[in-house]
Amino acid sequence: MANSHLKYESKKLATWYFTFAAIIFGAQLLFGLVAAIQYVMPSFMFEVVDFSVARMIHINALVVWMVFAMFGSVYWLLPDETGIETVGVGIGKLLFWAFAAAIVVVVLVYLFIQVGPADETTIWFIHEGREYIEAPRWADFAIVVVALGFVANLYMTGIKGNRSGIVTVLMADMIAFSGLYLTGMFYTDNISMDQFWWWWVIHLWVEATWEVFVGALAAYGLITMIGAHRKVVEMWLWIEVAMLFGSGILGMGHHYFWIGTPEYWWEIGALFSALEPLPLVAMFIHVLYDWGKMQGQEDAKGLEQSVITNKPAFTWFILNAFGNFLGAGIWGFFHTLPQVNLYTHGTQFTSAHGHLAFFGAYATILIGMMYLGVQGKNGIKIMRHTKSSIWATSMIFGGVLGMTMALTIAGYADFIISRAQWGATWEGYFAGQSGVWYLQGMNWRLIMGVVTFIGFLFLVKDLLSTGRAAHHER
Amino acid sequence: MAKKSVWSDNRFWQRSAGWVTGVASVLLMWLTFDTIPQITLGTDADLENGVTKRVPGPTVINYKITYEMDKKRHHEVPVIGGANAEGKSSFQEKEKFFGRDDWSEEEARALLRLGKLGSQAKNCMNCHTLLGNGAYYAPDLTKAWLDPAWGPNGPMQAMTGKNTKEEAMAEFLQFPSQYPTHARMMPNLGITAEEAKGLVAFLKHMSSIDTNGFPRNFGKIEGAVHGK
Amino acid sequence: MNVMFEPFVDVVPSFFGTLAQGPLTLTIFLHTLIVLPMFWIYRQEKARLEQEG
Ligand code: HEM
Ligand code: HEM
Ligand SMILES: [Fe+2]
Repeated sequence: MANSHLKYESKKLATWYFTFAAIIFGAQLLFGLVAAIQYVMPSFMFEVVDFSVARMIHINALVVWMVFAMFGSVYWLLPDETGIETVGVGIGKLLFWAFAAAIVVVVLVYLFIQVGPADETTIWFIHEGREYIEAPRWADFAIVVVALGFVANLYMTGIKGNRSGIVTVLMADMIAFSGLYLTGMFYTDNISMDQFWWWWVIHLWVEATWEVFVGALAAYGLITMIGAHRKVVEMWLWIEVAMLFGSGILGMGHHYFWIGTPEYWWEIGALFSALEPLPLVAMFIHVLYDWGKMQGQEDAKGLEQSVITNKPAFTWFILNAFGNFLGAGIWGFFHTLPQVNLYTHGTQFTSAHGHLAFFGAYATILIGMMYLGVQGKNGIKIMRHTKSSIWATSMIFGGVLGMTMALTIAGYADFIISRAQWGATWEGYFAGQSGVWYLQGMNWRLIMGVVTFIGFLFLVKDLLSTGRAAHHER
Repeated sequence: MAKKSVWSDNRFWQRSAGWVTGVASVLLMWLTFDTIPQITLGTDADLENGVTKRVPGPTVINYKITYEMDKKRHHEVPVIGGANAEGKSSFQEKEKFFGRDDWSEEEARALLRLGKLGSQAKNCMNCHTLLGNGAYYAPDLTKAWLDPAWGPNGPMQAMTGKNTKEEAMAEFLQFPSQYPTHARMMPNLGITAEEAKGLVAFLKHMSSIDTNGFPRNFGKIEGAVHGK
Repeated sequence: MNVMFEPFVDVVPSFFGTLAQGPLTLTIFLHTLIVLPMFWIYRQEKARLEQEG
C-alpha cells in the first residue's frame, strides 16, 4: 500500500492517531448538531438522547480527538526533529489500541447508560459529570497509563536522538500536560474545591500547555512547509513560551472570580489573563512574517513559485494563527475582566468564545497536521489544494465563524436580559431565552452548524482521496 | 563585525522562558496554599460560634439563608441565620429543612455527599451552570435555593402543590417532565426520593457559598424590562 | 490621602488580599517579581556574547 512511503514506524503510528481523531471529530460534530437542534426544537429526542447526553459526547469527544491528534502530531514530527526512529514505538502502537478501545467503550456507555445512581459506582463506571473530563475513573487510569507511555517514548527519543529546541519544548510541555490531568481525578463534596481543581485541568491545558504545544507545531510547520530558518523560528518559540506561560498560568484567576475563592483573584485573574492575547498576536505576526520573508527570498531569486510545499496544510496553519488570535485572544478578552464577567459568566457568550477558541487554536492546526500526514504517506513533494479541500476549508471555517457570530448575538440577549435586567433567576433565565435576538441566534447557529458539518464531509472526502490526485508534485 | 544582540539570542529567551514559567508556577502554588484553606468546608462549630466561612459546613441547611448587599464589599453576600446590626450573618435564625432544624453534622454531611454525588451522576452540569460553570441550556443553579419562584408565593412551589420549598424542589426533581414550565423541559433522570433530598441539600448548601456577589441582583429585580 | 488605602473587607485576611490596595497594586507586584530578574539574565547573556564575540 501507499504506506511504503513512510520510512518510520513512528509516522505510521501517527497516521493511525490522525485517522481515529478524524472519526471522533465527526462524532463530536454530530452530537453538537443534536444539541443545537434541541435548542430550536426541545422535543427532539427528549428522554431518548437528552441535551445533557448529546452535549457530554460533543465536548468530551472534542477533548479526546484533540488529544489523539496531538499525540499523533508528536509521533509524526519526532523522527524529523531527532533524526531517529521513535524509541518504544512498538509499545506506542499497543497503547494506541488500548486508548482507542477505552474511548469507544466510554462513549458507548455515555450514549446507552447515560446516568447512574448517586454513588461512587457511577463515577467509576459511567461518567464523572464534570464538563470536558467526564470520563469515568477507570478510564482516567487507562488514560494516565497511555499518557505515561507516550511521555516516556518522547523522553527516550529526545534523549537518544538530536534534541532540537522544538523537542525540548515538547518534552517540558507534554509532561506538564499529562501531569495536570491528575488534578481532575478525585472526588470532593465541596463544589468550590471541585471547581478550583477542575480548572487546573481545563484552563492550564487550553491556555497554557496546549498553546505552547501549538507554538511548537507551528514552528515545525514553518520549517517543514516553507523552509523557515530553524534558529529564528526557535527563538520565536522561546519568546512565545515565556509569554504564554507568563500570562496563562496566573491568568487562571479569571475562573476564580465567582466560585467561592477570595476576592484577590479579581485582580490577578484580570491582569494576567488580559495579557494572554499578546503571545497570540505574536504568533500570528510571526507566521505571516516568516511566510512573507521566505517568499520574498524566493522571489528575489527570480523564481516565480510558491515556497509552500503543502498548500492545504499551510492554509490550516495560517487559519490557526488567525483563529487562535481571534477566538482565544479577542473573544477571550471580551469577557475576561471581572466587571464584564460578572454578567457574561456562563452565558451563550461563553459558548461563542469556547467554540471559536477551541476551533481556531486547536482544530485548525491539527487538521493541518492531518494533511502533512497524507502528504508524507503518499510520498508527495508539493501538495496542492483540490476542489474538496477548498470547499472543506471555507465551509468549516466559515461555519464556525458563523456559529460564533450567532452565539455572540444570542449571548448579548442572554446576559443583558437574564443577568443584567432580571438578576439571573429561573424566570429571568427564560425571559432571556425568549428574546428575539436569542431565538434568531439559535436558528443561525444551527444553520451554520450544518454548514460546518457539510464542510467536514468534504474534509473527509479530501483526506481520503487527495493522495491519489494527479496534480501534486511527486 | 556587528555585535550580536542579546534580544535575538536564543539562549537569552530560553533562559527567560524557564525563569518566567518557574516563577509563575511557584506563585500559583503559593496562591493555592493561600486559597485552599479559605475554601475548605466549614464545620458545625463554626456556625455555632458565628464564624463566617466562604464555604460553610453542611449543617448550614439548618439555617435560614438570604442574599444581601454588603455595604463594605459593595456586592451581595449570603447571610446565614439572619443579619446582625452590621448586616452580617448572625447565625441565629434557624429554618426547618424537611421538617427538622437539628440535622447533626454527620447527617448533614451524608446528605450533602449524596447530593453532590447525585449532581455528578445525573449530569446536572451538562444542562445547567453550577457556580456559573457548565452548560447554558437551563437556569443557573448557584442560588437556585433562593429563587423567589420556589418561595411561598412562587409559581414553582404552587405548581407542585407542596407547602415547603424543599419539598417542592424534591418533587420537581423526581418528576420534572410532569411539571413543565416551558417547551424546554428537564428530563426524568431516575432521581429517587432520597437522592432528591440530597440534591436539595446540595443546592441549599451551594446558595450559602460566598461567590463574591455572583450572580448580581439575584431575585431582586422582577422583570424591569420585558425580554422581548 | 486615606482614599489611597483600602480597609480590608474580604472574608479572610491574607497577604495577597492586603496587597490588593486599589487598582493593580497586587498584579504590579507579581509582574515585577516575574519580569525584573530578567534584567539579570540579560546582563549575564550580554557578558557571555561579548566574551564569545
Ligand atoms: C485556545 C485558547 C482558549 C480556549 C480553547 C478557551 C476555551 C474556553 C472555554 C471552552 C470556556 C468555557 C468553559 C466552560 O464551559 O465553562 C472558556 C471560558 C473562558 N475563557 Fe477561554 N479559552 C481560551 C483562551 C482564552 C483567553 C486567551 C482568554 C482571555 C484573554 C480567555 C478567557 C476566558 C474566560 C474569562 C472564560 C470564562 C467565561 C465564563 O465566565 O463563563 N480564554 N474558555
Ligand atoms: C456542527 C457544528 C457544531 C454544533 C452544532 C455545536 C453545538 C454545540 C452546542 C449546542 C453546545 C452546547 C452549548 C450549551 O451548553 O448551551 C456546544 C458546546 C460546545 N462546543 Fe460545539 N458545536 C459544533 C461544533 C463545535 C466545534 C467545531 C468545536 C470546537 C472545535 C466545538 C466546541 C464546543 C465547546 C468547547 C463547547 C462548550 C462551550 C461552553 O461550555 O462554553 N463545537 N456546541
Ligand atoms: Fe481560562
